[in-house]
Amino acid sequence: MDIGTISAVVQTVMSQAPEEAAAVITGSELLQAASFIGAGLAMGFGAIGPGIGQGFAAGKACEAIGRSPENSNLLTRTMLLGQAVSETTGIYAFVISLLLLLYLA
Amino acid sequence: MEPQTLEAIGRIFGAGIAVGLGGIGAGIGMGMVAASGDEGLMRQPTQNNAMVRTMLIGQAVGGGTVSVFPLVIAILILFMPATDPEMVGGNFVATMIGAGLAIGLGSFGSGLGCGWPGATACDGVARNPRKITPITLRMVIGQAVAQSPTIFAMVIALLLLFTQQPGTDVVHIGIVLGAGLAIGAGALGPGIGSGIAAGGGITGIGKWPQNQDVTFRNMLVAQAVCQTPAIFGLLVAFVLFTRHAMEPGWTSLAQLLAAGIAAGFGGIGAGIGSGFAGETACEAIAARVRSENVILRTMLTGQAVSQTTAVYALVIALVVLYIV
Repeated sequence: MDIGTISAVVQTVMSQAPEEAAAVITGSELLQAASFIGAGLAMGFGAIGPGIGQGFAAGKACEAIGRSPENSNLLTRTMLLGQAVSETTGIYAFVISLLLLLYLA
Repeated sequence: MEPQTLEAIGRIFGAGIAVGLGGIGAGIGMGMVAASGDEGLMRQPTQNNAMVRTMLIGQAVGGGTVSVFPLVIAILILFMPATDPEMVGGNFVATMIGAGLAIGLGSFGSGLGCGWPGATACDGVARNPRKITPITLRMVIGQAVAQSPTIFAMVIALLLLFTQQPGTDVVHIGIVLGAGLAIGAGALGPGIGSGIAAGGGITGIGKWPQNQDVTFRNMLVAQAVCQTPAIFGLLVAFVLFTRHAMEPGWTSLAQLLAAGIAAGFGGIGAGIGSGFAGETACEAIAARVRSENVILRTMLTGQAVSQTTAVYALVIALVVLYIV
């Protein structure tokens, strides 16, 4: 299927859209819609890395506590510290999403 | 373009997405089991019956059943009659693609995840062929738990196919695509993660069979915690179904899609990360049962911290739907 056919399909799908929705999107609406999608993308994909990274930290901490249970307090503290640092990128994504949603949209 | 052509295009895209994405995970997972089974045969050439049996059960329960779900949905997408004559054009195409995304992405995760318990079970049987029954039994249960995110995705896909979601056309498109993404991508991480956690538990049972009950108990806890992001995805999908009264327009479409993307993809990392925490914790508990409490506590703390990002994603999804 070539690009022409795909764009014809997209146009037909879009032309089934209701009459009450403006057929042509205005500038401010486009900005708002883009902010919403941007916020969703930022938070959705931004959350992947910290989640996996914190899981690794927790796993290694469990392994270490299994080896030396008497140091569990120290190990838990170190795990939480490492996870907090790994959390920062998730918080950045969260802040950017909120900015996009509440100020730019 | 004629309506029949558009309908056919929707069915073709939906079925393709469902089976295409759904097959990837199951394929990789079954390959992991087969690789591990071959390695086991190399170590225990005289035990080929036990090895082949474990490998085949692992592949059948893991990849086999998981890939049946997208197959059923794809057949429904291709051949079910249009239930509602009102649903034409873009609505129909979007519903089919939404159902395909839900089950395709959802079963991707579980199919891949089921590879871990299967592969570690083959390792365990190779190490200790007499323990084939307890290892295989617990592998099957672990794989079944890893498949529950796919069941959530299946529920949403069937709801999309058999009940028409109301809403004016653009809003309807946003609801069905957003719900498909929320539960599909939301089930992806938990499927992989609970499989990884089960893999750790089965490794522990294979190495220290005398502690199998304690290990198995903790494995189920670890797997259950991994499923939280899938529940967030399910929640957002149901919330989206109630948003049909939104003002028609492109911004509403963007809001609905953004909620689905945030809740869905935001759960991937949390699900996989909790799985890694569960994997090593189960192994550590199997090795040293006396430290069970302190390891379990650390695992739950670590998993909870790893799920904060999924909670942020849920918050953003609800903010984009209700506050903006």
